[in-house]
Amino acid sequence: MEFEAVIGLEIHIELNCPTKLFCDCPNNPGDEPNVNTCPICLWFPGAIPRLSQAALEKASLLCLGLGAELQPRSAFDQKVYYYPDLPKGYQLSQAHLPLARGGGIDITDENGRPKRLRIHHIHMEEDVAKLVHEIEGRTPISLVDFNRAGAPLVEIVSEPDFRTPHDAMEFLKALRTQVRYVGASECSMENGTMRVDANISVRPRGTDQMNTKVEVKNMNSIRHVGDAVAYEISRQSACVSSGEAVVLHTRLWDPDRKATFPMRAKFEGPCIPDPSVPFIDLSPEWIEKMRARLPEMPAARAERFVARYGLTDEEAVYLSADPETASYFEALIAEKVAPRTAMHWLTTQLLAAVRERGQELSGTPVTPARFAALLKMLAKDEINANAARQVLIELFDCGESPEKIVEARGIRQVSDHDALEGLIDRVLGENPAAVADYRGGQGKAAGFLIGKVMQASGGKANPKIIRELLTKKLDALG
Amino acid sequence: MEDIFCYTSPQTASSGSGPLRGLKTAIQPCFCVAEWPTDAGSRALAGFTALEDATVVERLRQAGAVLTGLTRMSEFGFGLDDSRAGMAIRNQAADVELSLDLMGETRLAAARASVCGFKPSWGIVSRFGLIGLMPSMECCGLLSGGVKQIREVLKVIAGPDERDFSLPDEKTPDFSQGEINPRETTIGVVPEGLSNMTSEQRDAFEAALAELREAGFSLREISLPDFSLFALVHRIVGSVEASSSAGRYDSVRYGQRAKGAKNWNEMYLLSRGAAFGTLVKSYLFQGAFFQFERYDAYEDACRVRARLLAAMAEISAQADFLALPAVNPGVPDMAASLDDTYRQFFYTAFANVTGQPTLYLPPGAGAITPGLQLAGPRLGDARLLALGEYLLSARQGGK
Repeated sequence: MEFEAVIGLEIHIELNCPTKLFCDCPNNPGDEPNVNTCPICLWFPGAIPRLSQAALEKASLLCLGLGAELQPRSAFDQKVYYYPDLPKGYQLSQAHLPLARGGGIDITDENGRPKRLRIHHIHMEEDVAKLVHEIEGRTPISLVDFNRAGAPLVEIVSEPDFRTPHDAMEFLKALRTQVRYVGASECSMENGTMRVDANISVRPRGTDQMNTKVEVKNMNSIRHVGDAVAYEISRQSACVSSGEAVVLHTRLWDPDRKATFPMRAKFEGPCIPDPSVPFIDLSPEWIEKMRARLPEMPAARAERFVARYGLTDEEAVYLSADPETASYFEALIAEKVAPRTAMHWLTTQLLAAVRERGQELSGTPVTPARFAALLKMLAKDEINANAARQVLIELFDCGESPEKIVEARGIRQVSDHDALEGLIDRVLGENPAAVADYRGGQGKAAGFLIGKVMQASGGKANPKIIRELLTKKLDALG
Repeated sequence: MEDIFCYTSPQTASSGSGPLRGLKTAIQPCFCVAEWPTDAGSRALAGFTALEDATVVERLRQAGAVLTGLTRMSEFGFGLDDSRAGMAIRNQAADVELSLDLMGETRLAAARASVCGFKPSWGIVSRFGLIGLMPSMECCGLLSGGVKQIREVLKVIAGPDERDFSLPDEKTPDFSQGEINPRETTIGVVPEGLSNMTSEQRDAFEAALAELREAGFSLREISLPDFSLFALVHRIVGSVEASSSAGRYDSVRYGQRAKGAKNWNEMYLLSRGAAFGTLVKSYLFQGAFFQFERYDAYEDACRVRARLLAAMAEISAQADFLALPAVNPGVPDMAASLDDTYRQFFYTAFANVTGQPTLYLPPGAGAITPGLQLAGPRLGDARLLALGEYLLSARQGGK
């Protein structure tokens, strides 16, 4: 029997707000343990939660960015369970009335066809504390760091529209891009600001039944999500084939063994409405105000790049995937660099060089203005591509303008025909064998000769003009 | 006084020159007072000292009130078994006492001590720093010898608080004295509330109503067949909220941790087992039962609550105030079980379900009638207090 998988994702994203969700403590989970705590996030007697306006706004922007519909009324509930990482016996979450419903992400499936993966709802909730397990003497002890307790989270619950690991990975990549665009989170799975749980079940291909699902956790990269989903599909398919029943439970992904293993179930009760956090009532005017704050989203930006700058779909999607890259590109255009040159040099040269140096585009000394000056010299044939690459390296290390660097190094391109003709004559005289090859019909001998001329010019000659003059001369010899 | 106070303030000088300058104020240890042992009467908080003042305490201090000490309370304010609420007023050790009202404790304590007891509308007094048990039912009640002091204190403590966003965005009642004209005022009586009284008890209540009639008020019987559901709804919703609220007493961050636990679950079981008294423990068990085993019944109770609120709003359209008994005469003073406790508060729990203000007025000197419980519509606190003041002064022959 052939199986297909039904997959849904639950994604927790930690919002990069300055404070926690229900108190004014700094939202810096990585600080010294327990410095960012107060009677509210430690849930001392008499504490009352106060929903952060900044968190509500950021969460709302994120929802709008994903095309979800903000609900006129949402509310917080108490998700009750007892665990030392949860300071009050319940987690404040939106179980019954979520902040937003609907929305989705468009991806390209494995066969190159467009596919929409729908979002069921998006809700806010508070993060829990971090447990650190140690051994003191011979006694195992658990330490609790409450810095993260109460940090603002958003949970995105998808519809079970995914069929393959590819779907899941593409969804996550696009999701990450869009959340970064609205500036709500870095969405780093490595750092835990994006955490993904996958619900997976299998069924005979072509049927529409919904079978018992298994939840998989503990993946810390998008690639791991793909691997874990793929593993789980084949594990469950094998189960069903051998007549074994799939049981509802949670499994952990082990990246070293590249397999999932069952984990102990955590008791969870139903959620009851929290009486202390008031309803969140959003007026249509407020929602419109939020919408006005939404930046141009990546899909719209990519479309604009194609329409206005003549990029291919692929180039446009690649450039717009990261808001910083896209903005840098547009800054080059604003400096009057031709779009294709800007695209090519940004993606093949600058990004690699920036990454190599562990920098960010926003902080690199190679500002759009300096890079644009370099690309404009290239466009005017004042330097050749080789020289441009050398100057780029120097732009990282000194504060000089590209023009000054070119002058100082004497690598301005030689386009003077008389000077070049002299060099060509000399090279032709020195390489009779290559000339004979060319005349014998071996076209690639021209390349060899061009290289020789370039060498003789000290790398400064304009290759276009050499080729022009050289072929003219060789053909004249014929 | 030791049987009344569990802590007396080392410093009793009045500070400042605010409107409550010199007002001796006793408080229950469920209101946080910085550095005082506010343990809410529970072993779960034995040795706990508050880090900062509750909003009501802070406002009292700023207005010049003198905090005299903490009075003994039942565990988390639930019921009146170990409570000495009202006794500081009766013995003139305090002018005013703040007392937690979860289902009528302030009003019944007032009846017991023969003083005035007031439960304000839900949502007009900040709960920040109030160590409570059922957020949607509880509020800061006030006990005093007269109604005037209650009004003066409310002027100070009521109103928006930037530390308590759960207060609805509403206009705080204007507590300057209102006028009451008995000829234009209707007081409703719900006959269903009296159904389980003996005829003698009913006669006594009728005698209390006679005082109103004599003062010139028109009385009107208004039927509310579901009156007995108030206590039931309170019991289900209140216990579920209590079960959640008490979840923080887990011995992880504060409180006493029981020794000998081999793992987390045992730590929870042993510590929480030792932390709560029998009555509160059975209440928490009941709440957990409804939450985990009978969630549908909890949801039903929430729906019935909404219906009862609507029914009460309709009654407000037919009468300015309601008059009810406070004490359920058939029930022993010491309640040993949850059933007894809820029977004890049969006439008072409704106001915590609906969030409306209620005032207990003790009988006049020498009167054989029981005291009266008067209720107004939600946010009608000022008018209800005006009624109380009118009746007290009428007794003294002022009107």
